[in-house]
Amino acid sequence: MRFHGRGGHGIKTASRIVGTAAFLAGYEVQDSPIYGAERRGAPVTAFTRIASSAILERGVITQPDLIICGDETLLESPASGVLNGVEQAAALFINTRNLEAIRAQGKLHVRMVALDITQRTSDRIGKASALSVGLGAAAARLSGLISCEQLGEGVRTELEELGLDAPMIEKNLLLAQEVYAELETVTVEPRKFSATAVIHKMGYDHVLLGTPSILAPGNAEARQTGAWRVERPEIDYDSCTRCGLCFVHCPDGAIALDEQGYPVIDYDHCKGCLICLEQCPRHSIRSKKEVRSW
Amino acid sequence: MVRRMLTGNAAAAWGARLAQVEYVPAFPITPQTEIIESLATWFADGTLSGKFVTMDSEHSMVTAAGAAAATGVRTFTATSSQGLVYAMEALYTVSGWRVPFVLVNVSRGLSSPITLGPDHNDVLAARDAGFIQIHVETCQEVLDSVLMAFRIAEDVRVSLPTLVNLDGFFLSFTREPVEIPDAKLVQEFLPAFHPQHPVFSGSQSLAQGVAVLDGATYSYFRYQMHRALENALEVHEEVAEAFSRLFGRRYRALEEYGMADAEIVLVMAGSFATKGKAAVNRWREQGRKVGLLRLRMLRPQPAADIARSLIGRKAVGVIDQNISPGLGGILYQEVSGALASAGERVPVMRSFIGGLGGKDISQGEFDWVLEALDGAKPSDGPVPCQLLFTDAEYEQVRMALSIAGKSQGGTAS
Repeated sequence: MRFHGRGGHGIKTASRIVGTAAFLAGYEVQDSPIYGAERRGAPVTAFTRIASSAILERGVITQPDLIICGDETLLESPASGVLNGVEQAAALFINTRNLEAIRAQGKLHVRMVALDITQRTSDRIGKASALSVGLGAAAARLSGLISCEQLGEGVRTELEELGLDAPMIEKNLLLAQEVYAELETVTVEPRKFSATAVIHKMGYDHVLLGTPSILAPGNAEARQTGAWRVERPEIDYDSCTRCGLCFVHCPDGAIALDEQGYPVIDYDHCKGCLICLEQCPRHSIRSKKEVRSW
Repeated sequence: MVRRMLTGNAAAAWGARLAQVEYVPAFPITPQTEIIESLATWFADGTLSGKFVTMDSEHSMVTAAGAAAATGVRTFTATSSQGLVYAMEALYTVSGWRVPFVLVNVSRGLSSPITLGPDHNDVLAARDAGFIQIHVETCQEVLDSVLMAFRIAEDVRVSLPTLVNLDGFFLSFTREPVEIPDAKLVQEFLPAFHPQHPVFSGSQSLAQGVAVLDGATYSYFRYQMHRALENALEVHEEVAEAFSRLFGRRYRALEEYGMADAEIVLVMAGSFATKGKAAVNRWREQGRKVGLLRLRMLRPQPAADIARSLIGRKAVGVIDQNISPGLGGILYQEVSGALASAGERVPVMRSFIGGLGGKDISQGEFDWVLEALDGAKPSDGPVPCQLLFTDAEYEQVRMALSIAGKSQGGTAS
């Protein structure tokens, strides 16, 4: 199974909760996260393999049986890779309240399962972004390999390792039970590997191509770091005094001033750090959770 | 004995903990840092007693490790990639002191360009430094090998630093079920280090790091180091046997997988061998006689065993997760050399380079390799090394190049 979310969502922990639960249930297990030199809010992927005999694979999962997507906004971003191998997956789980809207787009030809994990997490533990337990519980239930009790053991083991106190662990256990009870197991069929790879015969390319240098100036613009945003700053222009503090403090230069001196946020590159919101002396910047459906 | 989910990094730290290391000089580098973080925690909370010291660089760190080991203290340290090559001068220096300690390297591709993913050019750059080198495949093997490494390193027939190599990400950040051996049994396997020869101490006069300005004396000491490394093969066998008696897991310098009747053989090192084993199983299900030879001990090289294992096979493909530019795969040369020194040859020997910078080797690529080996003939003549890299991956790279402002023909676009 492959988990997707953003740095800070607990995606690695979700993969470990299922991993530990399956291990305690007597399976062979392998779990691992993958992330680059990035940070909070950037897409994160984690993997859990569960088998009844030795696991002879490693690294990324290109043909997942289950895809667990913790953030529906990632569905829009090809670079996040949520949909890689989706055609053969037994199910795609999405943390959303907008499943019908996503379905109506007609873009995805896979069994889709949805539950609003964010809302349930917020209700149970008061912190909407801590998705690890809800997503782990969803994966455990969908897999059909893990009982509710074993899931609870996985949750307890992992959260204790992270140093959470007993009352918080109890709340998370209730959340895990709730999510587990609301979902049903999906059937996973064994599948064949893909065909022999087409190996490239690499020749010598001109030194300009074959050297890791960058010619195009300012091409970081092509990397739309706005996709990392969990919270979206919005400016109330009625109360904005054009003091320019948000413009000065934005660490990414994602706020410009227009001809009248009003700040304008470049949402393609704003990472949602909300330093502008903290700096605004008039509290003219508010934050909204990013929810975008297809 | 407890069996629980551990990453390769946690397994390495547990190995050092169970060995009751007394001195750890440390410097952080991804993907190794978790090892020294775990050890720092255990020194701070009293689980381990001794000294944990943060250093200014890997160069100082390896020198400090050697100096501590020269006092007879059980010493552990860890690094990766640029850290290992930054310490290169010190690696050669401390092995020349003939001091035993354990260095874990978490493999990561070398700059340039900078990457975080694993390959073996870092650890193989250190292959001539006089360290024993053990390359592991699983998280369990990480822990077990650290324990074995101390016992081999401290044996008076060897007395050399030992390097245990695990792959970044594919082991370092990957959890697998790992048996943590019982501490009492570990003490039986690996008692406290009491060197039989003089070490630095208050009452003992001793000079280390001395100069010899004539070639004969220099040759003598360097060749003694070679002999000590050769001894490590026999010592490894004894240590592996003792380990197996206590813990039930038997390790060999070479691991043979499906080799009994294999006609086509893949030779690999490190954690990607797991993927090679899957390919062997799939081909065997179709009745094809395929096997895998995993090079676990790189130094000393078990040359005679390599030759014995490969003689009589129809085709051998070495998949190197490294590249020596201008030569090709390093292990291909080493395996060919082992066969040549045994006076034998295999009809078809082919060299493949795969998994550079952690690039996946897909099952489709393994199929391509096995088909290439199956169809190869001795009369094909010299065949250069083949990079495992797909047409689709080339297209991805070309797209990145165009974003970087480069176009076909080498002009700015």
